[in-house]
Amino acid sequence: MTPTYPVLDSSYINGVVVAKMKLFNRRNDVEYYQIEVFTKDWKPVKFATTTRLLKVGYNKNKLFNVYIRFVDVKRTKYICTTSKVFKGGNQETLVSSMICSKIK
Amino acid sequence: MSIKKITAVALLLSTTSAIATDSPITGSVQPKCSVYTETQGVYGNPLPNKLDTLPASGGTKASIRYDIAQANFYLARITHPNSFSSSPTLNDSVAWTGSSVVGQVSVAGMSAYEAAKVVSPSNVTTFNMTLAGSTWFTVSSTALYGYNKALPAGNYTAIIKADCIAK
Repeated sequence: MTPTYPVLDSSYINGVVVAKMKLFNRRNDVEYYQIEVFTKDWKPVKFATTTRLLKVGYNKNKLFNVYIRFVDVKRTKYICTTSKVFKGGNQETLVSSMICSKIK
Repeated sequence: MSIKKITAVALLLSTTSAIATDSPITGSVQPKCSVYTETQGVYGNPLPNKLDTLPASGGTKASIRYDIAQANFYLARITHPNSFSSSPTLNDSVAWTGSSVVGQVSVAGMSAYEAAKVVSPSNVTTFNMTLAGSTWFTVSSTALYGYNKALPAGNYTAIIKADCIAK
C-alpha cells in the first residue's frame, strides 16, 4: 500500500475539492480495498469517488480521486483505504489493514 | 436538427471541454508505510468454552509486519478482536481478552516501542513508529463463552485490525 499526504485542490465541480490518490497493493492475501474519509475524531465525512470498493491485484497500482465538499474541508483529516478480507473458513483470525493519509 | 439546437449543443460541448482541461490534480505519493500479514492467527480449542491463539492451547498467534520507510511519520494501531466476524449462532455472551506486543525488530531501538505503547481502549494498542525499518507485532486473542458453556460446533472467525496512520 502507498499512503500519501494529499493536497486538496479545487475540482471542476463548483464547491467540491479533489485529492488524487494512488493505491499500491502489497498484500497477496487481499484484492479489495474500501475508501473512507474521516475527521480528526474518526467521524466519517461525506465524499464521492468512482467506486468505494477498489479491486487491486497483488503488486498493482490503482489511481483514484476523492471528491470532498468545500464545506467539509476544514474538518477532513484522514483519507483511508481498508483491506477487505474474505469470510474465513476455519477457526482463525483475519487481518484487516487500514492505511490513512493525513491532510495537512 | 435546427440551427438553434446545433448551436446549443456546440456551446455545451465547448463549455464542458473548457472545464475538463482546467481539472486540477495534486497530491504526492509517498510510499512510507506498508502492512503485511506474516502469520494468520488460528484459534485452538483447549476447552469446550474457549478459543485461544496461544500455542499451548493449540492455536497460532497472528504476526503482522509493518514496514516504515521514513522515521517518525506514522502510528501503528492494532485492534485485537472483541467479536466474531463469523460464527454459529451464539446465545450467550463472549468474554474477550488479547494483546498486541512487539516481536521481531529490524532495528534494535524498536524494542522500546513495547514500553512506550498505549493501550486505550482495552483492545486497541497504539505504537509510535519513531524509527525506519520493519517491526513484527504479535497479536493474541482469547474468547471465553458464557459460564462454562460449550461453544456450538462450527467455524469461528475474528478480525484483527492493523492500521497505519500518518501523524
